[in-house]
Amino acid sequence: MSDNKQMVADIDHSLYDFKDIENEKDFYRMEEGLTRETVLKVSEEKNDPEWMRDFRLECLKLYNEIQMPNWGPSIEGLDMDKISSYVRHKSDMKGKWEDVPEDIKNTFEKLGIPQAERESLAGVGAQYDSELVYHNVKDEVAAQGVIYTDLESALRSEYADMIKSHFMKLVPPTDHKFAALHGAVWSGGSFVYVPKNVKVEIPLQSYFRLNAAGAGQFEHTLIIVDEGADLHFIEGCSAPKYNVANLHAGCVELYVAKNARLRYSTIENWSKNMYNLNTKRALVEENGIMEWVSGSFGSHTSYLYPMTILKGNGSKMEFTGITFAGKGQNLDTGAKVVHQGERTSSVINTKSISKDGGIGTYRSSVTIQSTAKKAKASVSCDSLMLDSISRADTIPGMDIRTSDADVGHEAKIGRISDEAIFYLMSRGISEEDAKAMIVSGFANPVSKELPLEYAVEMNNLIKLEMSGNG
Amino acid sequence: MSKDLNMKVNVLPVTTYNFLHVNDGRLEIKDVELQKIASSNKAGIPSGVTLKENVSFDEAGEIFRENKERILALKEEMVSPNCETAKRDESQSIRTGMGADVDKLFLENNISCDVYTVEKNVKVAEPIVLRQDLEDGATGMSSQVIHAKKGSEVTVIMAYSSERSASGFLGVSTRLLADEDATINLVKVQLLGDGYVHFDDIGGACLRGGKINLTTLELGGKEAFNGAYINLSEKEAALSSNLGYLSRDDHSLDMNYVADQRGKKTEASMQFKGVLMGTAKKTLRDTLDFKTGSSGSVGDEQEDALLLSENVVNRTMPIILCQEEDVEGRHGATIGQLGEDLLFYMQTRGIDEEEAKRIMIKARLESVARLIPDQEIRQLAIYYIQQIV
Repeated sequence: MSDNKQMVADIDHSLYDFKDIENEKDFYRMEEGLTRETVLKVSEEKNDPEWMRDFRLECLKLYNEIQMPNWGPSIEGLDMDKISSYVRHKSDMKGKWEDVPEDIKNTFEKLGIPQAERESLAGVGAQYDSELVYHNVKDEVAAQGVIYTDLESALRSEYADMIKSHFMKLVPPTDHKFAALHGAVWSGGSFVYVPKNVKVEIPLQSYFRLNAAGAGQFEHTLIIVDEGADLHFIEGCSAPKYNVANLHAGCVELYVAKNARLRYSTIENWSKNMYNLNTKRALVEENGIMEWVSGSFGSHTSYLYPMTILKGNGSKMEFTGITFAGKGQNLDTGAKVVHQGERTSSVINTKSISKDGGIGTYRSSVTIQSTAKKAKASVSCDSLMLDSISRADTIPGMDIRTSDADVGHEAKIGRISDEAIFYLMSRGISEEDAKAMIVSGFANPVSKELPLEYAVEMNNLIKLEMSGNG
Repeated sequence: MSKDLNMKVNVLPVTTYNFLHVNDGRLEIKDVELQKIASSNKAGIPSGVTLKENVSFDEAGEIFRENKERILALKEEMVSPNCETAKRDESQSIRTGMGADVDKLFLENNISCDVYTVEKNVKVAEPIVLRQDLEDGATGMSSQVIHAKKGSEVTVIMAYSSERSASGFLGVSTRLLADEDATINLVKVQLLGDGYVHFDDIGGACLRGGKINLTTLELGGKEAFNGAYINLSEKEAALSSNLGYLSRDDHSLDMNYVADQRGKKTEASMQFKGVLMGTAKKTLRDTLDFKTGSSGSVGDEQEDALLLSENVVNRTMPIILCQEEDVEGRHGATIGQLGEDLLFYMQTRGIDEEEAKRIMIKARLESVARLIPDQEIRQLAIYYIQQIV
């Protein structure tokens, strides 16, 4: 009889945990700490237009004024004096994969990015530390008028005015301390513009790799999906583990115009020394649709609550998320939605798994303003505890300011039910196998929303591991 | 001597986004006289119950301090949830829903406490009915400790009322201890006038097999604050809470309910049914907190809020905190106006929209009022509801 057993293993980071040594010859690294001088240096490196340089300095001022959040996980271990805000390879961004420096190319090859581009993507952006190292979009997609480029290039292109009128307007630097930090030292990230009525059939993807120890990554993603257009954008992120804190304070601003649809999928697998203080926000116009798919597996500490403002009448939002908090992780994740327009609707559906002392917190807000007549909102959040040394907390909030709305909320916390295990065991399945199957089924509503190859990656992350000997 | 009050109350067990304005409530009132308001008790004290009047607020808390190790016992060291606020209330003899600022108010103003003790294994058949029928302009506070000793059971009904047009201030603190296999049924009925500011603060603990059943009707007052923090400290301790509320005109209601589940196989059920009208503002915080060691425990919190005006503000903060694998926690909320299907059903039976609303308000509130075990108070509450709708 076979002694093989399945078990719900901790997240397997080994795939992502290779380190590439960054030497001084090939890499430029800014000194640690955040001062007016460092901000000016970043601005100089980026060859910013004057308005952007002034904006950065204003953001630095705000960063120094705004208090740390008085809620959420502790970020005491994060010392900005020990974080370098800007690290880049000395070569320029390439449009051809073979031109990317060998060491960086190896990294992305190991992560499977070029293969994914060939097989299933309409375009790829690859960021390594603070700068995009590769950006490419398929000819047929470019021919439709789709713009997919790095934000810095876009700032100096015919789209400069469009960037200026949208950049950090949805997430103003006054929003919170780390939005201000982002405004001061942002670097890298992508700009996407999908023209009216253009449907991009296959996804675009940006992949962010933070390889340097003790560094911050502050990429800015700006996507504008014009009237009647359709886009699926995927972002992936990973980093090797170091013994010093790393910081990710990116910012994502998404504009979904009338009758447009945007799906934004994220598989986040930062290393367990990462403070992931990321801000994502979407503004949706009349009858527009915003769909978020979010898998949070990595990071030491996360604050991540993608926010959707349903401004236009009939606009819709759907958020599907899963968080797996393992040993040493404090992942505070969820979603926020503001209903402004009439007949707007939102559906939030999240799953959270806590294991080996991990802390998983689901936090959300549903705001229905008085103008949002006939709005509908539904929230469902389930948490699964796999042991009694972990935590699973659910902290949802609702603020409803009209009677002409329909809001439903349900939350459940519990363990794998004995009845379900008994049922499976009565059909000849071992207890361990039964548990693994139930966890897999628990995560299924999220994995089925992902493209196949990402669903496979997610299932690998929640690895249902075969151990050799029972 | 009159005073201005500015208290932080109903602090959420863990803080969250500041823009939601739910992390705490603020009780502010100017120029208020703080003195003890006595309750009338027509039927007297039943046998098996002793009443010690005018005990200092601090001394009355001694029974909780004596049992502190049992009340706050944890199986193992806890990992705290993010940004918990427990430290703020550490000075309290027993943690209450509204928190330490209320205790401070009683202590600083030397408002004494009445201590009711139910002897071992005594099941008190008739409820103790404490009434405060207040005049226009009345201001003051009252405090009670109810201690049900092992195997006993008692029902205490507290009703606060005044003329509909009356104004004033009433603050109440009620602390509860249910010893092993004891049951405390506490009923609070608030029917104060439209100008009243009112707070009602409850803290309690259940030892092994102890039960606390709360029935609450919050129907009156311009500004009302209500909080309850119940420790289910030992095995098979239980809390059942049914709260009905009505907030109308420009009134506000601020609530904070917590079931702190520490013992094995504890049970908590918190049900909130309410109606908002006019420009009323309501905040409900309700928390199930499964602490380490609470294996086999279950908790359920449900809210059904009927919004009957365009301009109401409804804030709901249903929290589940959990550091125990073997528990089941559930939360559900339904918030909105009358369903179109229901309205259609009623209209097909000749009931117009306004009448349908009246029926649904009465149905929600009277379902809680019917739980009041004293006929006179029950009818008073039902009459109050009928007058309003």
